[in-house]
Amino acid sequence: MSPSRREFLWTMGAAAATVALKGAQDVFWESDESLDVGWVPGIEERRNSACLICPSRCGISGRLVDGRLVRINGNPLHPLSRGGLCPRGVAGVQMLYHPERLAGPMLRAGPRGGGQWETVTREHAISRVADRLGELRAAGRPETLALLAGYNAGTIQDIWRQFLHSFGSPNYVADEYEDGTDAVMALMHGIDRRPSYDLDRARLVLSFGAPMFESWWSPLQAFVAFASPGDEAESGPRFVQIDTRFSRTASRAHEWVGVRPGTHAVLALGIAYVLIRDELFDADFVARHVSGFEDFVDAQGQPREGYRSLVMRNYRTEEVSAITGVPVARITSLARAFAAVRPSVAVCGTDVTFAPNGLLAGLAVHSINVLMGSINRPGGVLFPEDTPIRPLATPVLDETARAGVGREPIGAGGSTFASGDPALRFAEAVAGAQAPVEALLLYYANPIASSAQPEVWREALEKIPFVVSFSPFLDETTRYADVILPDLLPYERWQDAPTPFSYPYPVWGLAQPLVEPRQGAWHTGDVVLALAQSLGGNVAESLPYESFEGLLKERARGLFAVRRGMTLGGEFERTHHRQMEERGWWLPEHAEFEPFWEELVERGGWTDQFYDHTDPYRLARTDSGRIELMPAALFNALAEQGSALRPYLDVATPTAEGSREFGLRLIPYRVSTLASGTLSLERWLAEQPGIFPDVLWHPWVEVAPETAHTLGFSDDTLVWVVSPQGRYRARLKVFPGTAPETVCAPYGLRQPDGQPANPLQLLDGSNDPLTGLPSWSSTFVRLERV
Amino acid sequence: MARWGMVIDLDRCTGCAACEVACKSENNVAAVSADQADMGRASSWMKVMAHVEGEFPDTTMHFYPRPCMHCDNPPCIRVCPVQATYIDDEGIVGQIYARCIGCRYCANACPYMVKYFNWYGPEWSESERQHLNPDVSVRPTGVIEKCTFCHHRLQKAREDARADGRELREEDYQPACADVCPTNAIAFGDLDNPSHAVHSLKADPRVLRLMEDLGTQPKVYYLRPRE
Repeated sequence: MSPSRREFLWTMGAAAATVALKGAQDVFWESDESLDVGWVPGIEERRNSACLICPSRCGISGRLVDGRLVRINGNPLHPLSRGGLCPRGVAGVQMLYHPERLAGPMLRAGPRGGGQWETVTREHAISRVADRLGELRAAGRPETLALLAGYNAGTIQDIWRQFLHSFGSPNYVADEYEDGTDAVMALMHGIDRRPSYDLDRARLVLSFGAPMFESWWSPLQAFVAFASPGDEAESGPRFVQIDTRFSRTASRAHEWVGVRPGTHAVLALGIAYVLIRDELFDADFVARHVSGFEDFVDAQGQPREGYRSLVMRNYRTEEVSAITGVPVARITSLARAFAAVRPSVAVCGTDVTFAPNGLLAGLAVHSINVLMGSINRPGGVLFPEDTPIRPLATPVLDETARAGVGREPIGAGGSTFASGDPALRFAEAVAGAQAPVEALLLYYANPIASSAQPEVWREALEKIPFVVSFSPFLDETTRYADVILPDLLPYERWQDAPTPFSYPYPVWGLAQPLVEPRQGAWHTGDVVLALAQSLGGNVAESLPYESFEGLLKERARGLFAVRRGMTLGGEFERTHHRQMEERGWWLPEHAEFEPFWEELVERGGWTDQFYDHTDPYRLARTDSGRIELMPAALFNALAEQGSALRPYLDVATPTAEGSREFGLRLIPYRVSTLASGTLSLERWLAEQPGIFPDVLWHPWVEVAPETAHTLGFSDDTLVWVVSPQGRYRARLKVFPGTAPETVCAPYGLRQPDGQPANPLQLLDGSNDPLTGLPSWSSTFVRLERV
Repeated sequence: MARWGMVIDLDRCTGCAACEVACKSENNVAAVSADQADMGRASSWMKVMAHVEGEFPDTTMHFYPRPCMHCDNPPCIRVCPVQATYIDDEGIVGQIYARCIGCRYCANACPYMVKYFNWYGPEWSESERQHLNPDVSVRPTGVIEKCTFCHHRLQKAREDARADGRELREEDYQPACADVCPTNAIAFGDLDNPSHAVHSLKADPRVLRLMEDLGTQPKVYYLRPRE
C-alpha cells in the first residue's frame, strides 16, 4: 500500500528534523512515542463547488481538513454571490454531518408508516424498484408512475423528465415555489419565463412585496447590489420596499412604504397615473414597442379603453391614497423618483401575486416597467438566453411510451395561465380515486410537512401501493415510503447549478464532491441512469450515459463549443470578457476541451456576462412584436370564463373584514433561514431563526403591541393560532412593526419535537382562478392562550 | 504593533445572520437543546441584535451584529481572580480555558453580555464531530468562552506570511464573520495602520461605540445609519 499524503509529509518532516539535529546527542523526539500524541496537523485543502440548498445556487468554497468538510465559505469567483454567503449556505456542514442522515437503502418491513425498516444493499433496492416499474410497463400502464419533484432545475430535472417520458408517464409533478411572474411575462411579452432583474446596474429598485433580503429567488443577488457603495455618484441601487409587513427587507431597504394588504398594485397604478399625467414616462419606447396604451378596437370590433384612459380615469392619486393608505405626496415622489433616477426597475413579489386576483395585480406592477421602458435595457427587466449546454440525447419512444405520454397528466388543467399548485391537484385526484397511481417517486419533496393540505396527501399516499423516496432524511413523507434510496448530499455529488431566474446572466455552477460520499447513499442521478439501464429497451436508449458525472462533462462540451463566456473568474476577468464580447470579440483560452473542463471544475462553473440589449427577440415575442399592455389572450380567457374581472381595474384584493370570531388577518411569510418546510433543521439555524434574539427553536407569531394588549397577551405567551381550517401552537411576540389587527406568521418552522408548525395549513383555500396560486393574506384567525 | 479592531456599517447590515452561523462553524460553538436554550444557555459569540423604534407604520429597525468588543479597558479582566481572561499586546481579549475556574465574574462584569458559560460539555454527535474546525479547541464544562476575533486565523496568517517572507497583509487576517458577510458590512483590520480600511472608517463622523460612557474603550466601532 502506498503511503497516504499525510504519512508522506510526516516522513518528510521526520527526515528534515533528523537532518537538522544531526550530531545532537539527546534528540528526545527520536523515539516513536513522541510522535504518537494523538494530534497531527491536518492536510488542508480548498475546493470550489456550488450550494444547492436554495434556488440562488451561489458559489461556495469548501475548506477540507483531512477530507472532512469543516467550513463552507463563499466562492469569490462566482459572479452572483462574489464570496458572500447566507446562513443556510454556511450551515450546510451540519446538514452533511447530520446525525439523522439515513445510513443506506431501506425497505419497509412492517405496516406502512409503522417505522420498521429493513436495511438492504443498494443493488437490492434498485432491483426492487426496477422490477416494479418493469411490471407497470409490461402491463401497459406506464402512466401510473408519477414523480413528485421538489427540486426542479438543471440536468437532474432533465434526466428525470427524460426518464418519465421514455418510460411513458406524463406525470412529472413539480412541487415547488411558484410566484406567477412567468404568467405575467408570457401575457405581456410572449416570453414564458420569469423575469430577471439587472440589480447591479439599476439605480432605483421598487420592490412590490418581494422579500429581496430574505427568501427571494436570490437574496445574495440583492445583497451584492445593496452592498455597492451608497453615497457615491456611481453607487448601487436605492431600494424601496412596498410591503404590508414591516419585514427585514422593509426595515433595511432605503425606504419603506407600508400599504394595506392586497393593494400593492393599486399603488403601482397610482405611480403610473403620475408618470402619465406629468408626462414622465418613456413616450418614445411606448410608441415604438408597446400596444394597448391608447384606446383600441379589439378583434371582435369592440372599442376598448387603453391603458392610458383606464389609469387616468381610475387612479387619481387621492383615490389611490384612500385605498392604499399611502399619502398623495409620497405617491407623487415615488413616481418622480422612478422616472428621474434611471435606470429604475419594479420587482414583483409573492405578496402581489399570492392574492385572489394576483395575476391582474402582477400585470399592473409590471406595467410601470413597460411605461418607463425598463425592459431589455441595462438596469431593467432582462430575459437572458438559456445556458448553452449540450441537450440530452433525443428520447426514443416505443408504443407503450407513446400511448402513456399521450394521456392527460394527473391533476392537469389547473388554471389558464399558470400551474398553481399542481402537487395538491395531483394529490386530490389520487385521493379522490379519479386517477390510479401505482408508483410514486419522491425527489426532494415532503408534502406532508410543506403542503397546505397534508390530510389530502396522507389519503393520496394510502392509495398508492408503491412509494419510493430519495430523501437523505427520514422526513414526514418518506416515512410512508416502501423503498428509500437516500441521495447523496450536495457536498458529495456532482450536479450542475443553473442560474436563478432573477439573475440576468447565464451561470452554470458546478457542484462537485468535496468529501468522500457516504457509504450506502447513492447519487439519485446515477440511480435514474441505472434504473433506465435495467429497464432496458427504449428507456435505456434515451439515457445512454454511464454516470451523472460523465453526463455533466458531456453537457459542458456545449459551453466549450459556443465560443463565448468564460470559466468563473474575478471582477477584472468578468469585465474584460464582457467588454470584449460587447465589441464582438471572444478569445479562446483553451484549445482543448479537457483543460477547459478542468478549469471549469476548479473554479466552480462557467458564466457569460454579456447581454445583447439590442435583440428585439428579448423584448417581445408576441404576434404583433410589441409588448401588450392589453393582452388579447387575457381578454379571451376572461370572456371564456365569464369572469367579470377587468385588467387594471380589479387589481386589489377584495377588502374582507375579519368576523367577530376570527378577527385577525393572517400574513404568512418565509424566513430566510428556512425558506422551505422540507428540510431537516440544522441546529445552528434553529438557534437564530428570526429577528428576535430570544426566540430560539420555537415557532412564533408577531402581533402589534396594541393588539396584544387588547387580547390580554404579553410577550412570550404560548398561543394557538386558530382558523376555521385548523390550528397550531406558537409563541406570541409583540413587535411594533406589525400592523394592528394582523398576525404575521413565519412559514417553515417546526416545534422543537420536529412537528411542523405550518401557517399555510390555516389558509382559507381561496386562490386566483387565472393562475391557481393561493391567496396568502385573505385568511382571518384568532389567538387562544394555550 | 497592530491594534486589531472592527468597524460595522449598520447601513449595510441586513440582519441575515450569516456572521452568526459562520462564527459558530469556525469556532466549534455547539448548539444546545431547545429547553436549555429557553434557559438562556445558548452560546453565540456573534449575535445579531435587532433594535426597533417607533410604532407601525413609522417603525425603524436596525441590526447590530454584536461580537466581543475587545475593549482596551475590559471590565472582564479586572474581576477575573485567576487571570484566565486577559488582553494581549495587540488588543485581543482572550480566554485561557485551562485557567478558568468558572466563577462567571467576568460574564457578570461584561456590559455587552458577550461571555458565555459552558453549562455542559459541547454536545456533538459522532457524525457532527467531523465538521469541527481543528484549529479551535472545543471547550470543556464549566468554563467561560467568548469571541476571539478568530485569533487562530491571525496565528496562521502570520506563519504563512513569515513563510512567504513578507509582511502581514490586511486580507490575510479576517475573522469568519467579516469574511462571510454578503453585504460587506463588517470591516476588520489594524486600527493603527493607515493602509487598513478600518483606520479611516473609525474616523467617520457616523462612528459610534456601544456604551462608551462606561470607559471600556471598545475596539468594535459601528457606523450609525444615515437618516
